[in-house]
Amino acid sequence: MGTQNIPSSVVQFALADKLIGIGRANSLWPLTFGIACCAIEMMATGCARFDMSRFGAEVFRPSARQSDLMIVAGTITKKMMPGIKTLYDQMPEPKWVMALGNCAISGGPFAFEGQYSIILGADQFLPVDVYIPGCPPRPEALLQGIIELEHLISDWKRWKNPEAA
Amino acid sequence: MICEQTKRALQRLFPGSVPAEPAVETSSGDQDKKDKAPPAPRQNGLVTRDYAVHGYHLDAQVAPGQLIEAVTILDEAEFFLESITGVDWIKENQLEVIYDFSRYDFEVCRVVIRTRIDRTAPEVPTITGIYWGANWHERETHDFFGIKFTGHPHLIPLLLPEDADFHPLLKDFKA
Amino acid sequence: MNAPILLQPDETFILNVGPQHPATHGVLRVKMEMNGEYIVNAETVVGYIHRMHEKMGEIKSYPQFLMNLSRMDYLGALGYSHCHVLLVEKASGIVVPERAEYIRAITVELNRIASHLFWFGAFVMDLGGFSPLMYALQDREHILDMLEAVTGSRLTYCYYRFGGLCNDVDDEFISAARRFIPRMRKSLKKYRALVTGNIIFRKRLEGIAPLTKEMCRKYGASSAVARGSGINFDVRKNEPYSVYPEFDFDVPVYHECDSLARYMVRMDEIEQSLRIVEQGLDKLPGGPIMPEKKPKLIKPPAGDYYQAVETARGSFGIRLVSDGGKNPYRLKLRSPTYSNMHLFDEACRGMMIMDALAFMGSLDLVIPEIDR
Repeated sequence: MGTQNIPSSVVQFALADKLIGIGRANSLWPLTFGIACCAIEMMATGCARFDMSRFGAEVFRPSARQSDLMIVAGTITKKMMPGIKTLYDQMPEPKWVMALGNCAISGGPFAFEGQYSIILGADQFLPVDVYIPGCPPRPEALLQGIIELEHLISDWKRWKNPEAA
Repeated sequence: MICEQTKRALQRLFPGSVPAEPAVETSSGDQDKKDKAPPAPRQNGLVTRDYAVHGYHLDAQVAPGQLIEAVTILDEAEFFLESITGVDWIKENQLEVIYDFSRYDFEVCRVVIRTRIDRTAPEVPTITGIYWGANWHERETHDFFGIKFTGHPHLIPLLLPEDADFHPLLKDFKA
Repeated sequence: MNAPILLQPDETFILNVGPQHPATHGVLRVKMEMNGEYIVNAETVVGYIHRMHEKMGEIKSYPQFLMNLSRMDYLGALGYSHCHVLLVEKASGIVVPERAEYIRAITVELNRIASHLFWFGAFVMDLGGFSPLMYALQDREHILDMLEAVTGSRLTYCYYRFGGLCNDVDDEFISAARRFIPRMRKSLKKYRALVTGNIIFRKRLEGIAPLTKEMCRKYGASSAVARGSGINFDVRKNEPYSVYPEFDFDVPVYHECDSLARYMVRMDEIEQSLRIVEQGLDKLPGGPIMPEKKPKLIKPPAGDYYQAVETARGSFGIRLVSDGGKNPYRLKLRSPTYSNMHLFDEACRGMMIMDALAFMGSLDLVIPEIDR
């Protein structure tokens, strides 16, 4: 958004946007969409030790119509791809996509010369917002991915970046 | 001993031949020599294998027509079907279908039944009538090698997409 | 339970329990033809996570393939690696030092406990109880910590090498494992009280999906699916491999054939695995973890070989057809979940859908293992 001439009286939208952004960032509802090994780390992140609910994102919804974050966790095959596209289309706006693991980023260890079955990354057909590398990535990496996504969604940061301070 | 009984029962499928170790066995000292003559193709027959090295006891190569008879012998002896798979012997222009059988009780006896078919028109009778679990194994072998199992109730792709028309594990497959 | 008689032949509808479903434990699709709540026919569609492991077996060399085995069944990955290294060692004639075999057995059993804990949490979650998942995964984290310190990974291990291991265990691992065993026994008591004795849980599982011995044999079922139907089959006892003959443990077998029997088999298996870990730690010998003489290039002699092990999901086997080269000519992976899942289609006819999902949970499925 560039600078806009907003009349100084009546309605100011910036504060509402900021509040709505903070609200969205702190209550992401992921879609339960574990495909392969990374799904196990996703479930471990949701459980007691790594506890995704500290960041508001523990409400995994099985239905795409009720979720706003699709965590693509696992290898995408050509057979599965139409299903994933359908699920993405079923999600209401605003929605975000996180590619968890090397397979969702670029095909991972299954991208070899002569492969016939997988799609080389979720960004071939979905707009991915956050990439989390690893095979599988640690739960802490998934948590950092959620926090980066929160920074993307709203201007508000949870804590200061120590390098910038 | 179940192993002996099964061996005798399978041996009846090959009247006139004697079970023996085939000549293609190479000892561990020879594995670096590459300039040996290619081994003679194996004839149909029953062979006993060293379990400690190969991991199975009996190895029977049958003609496709004798397959159902051989599998029925094993079904009556209460073996269970471990897996069915294929191997592409492109140099000999043949496809091989390998059936693995094993037992649930403590009389360990692993039996392997093989059959070789022509690579250009591969057809093998199905054993889903005897072992219902062969359904998925045969569909998968058809997916990977293009082998037709005649009489199979539902021979459509299992692991590949429904409209797949390629057979990836053939040696001349190009993605 | 029998399905009620159809009044009109066109009263059925097709319900797609799609690839994305919280109860299918991965991307599995079941097309169910339903008459109200009863299933008339079910057809399982797999292949949504077909990752070409067998093709990679032919393209990659033997050491390069080591990482694939963990990705097949990621919950009990060490058992699969164990089968692969045992097979190649058997074919190539490599002798493994005793210490390495004992450490392999200990880590495989710890991995089996972790896999069963995850199955337990997910299974009870399918039936509607969310809390045991939290408890089970918390216990599992302790095992993962121990294994991570030794192998470097939490989930997809690549720890075994041909001839032994890549890393030795230290005293910290041994003392952590010794501390873990009584802790796990206390947790098992808690699970028995919280879940196994729970009346709702028992009513949901008793009498559900009886599988006869004949059905298990025709489909080639193994692990708790067979042992819950009275078949005493465990590869560690029937076809002993590695150092398992040195351990004293039982194989739990139940004869009721229903889902509760399969559940009880796995819970008892956790206790037996704890016994094996205890004995393994007591008997752990000193010595090297890799043999002194090992071929530089792994090239098993031409021929075909088979090795079976008992993993958390059943009898896993690999058939290797070698032509003497540095890549396998054909590597066939016989996955237990493939055979276990296959009997779902026939067994769930006439069941209510909620019972079918309880049945699916009791089969302990990991879908990438079906699709390889």
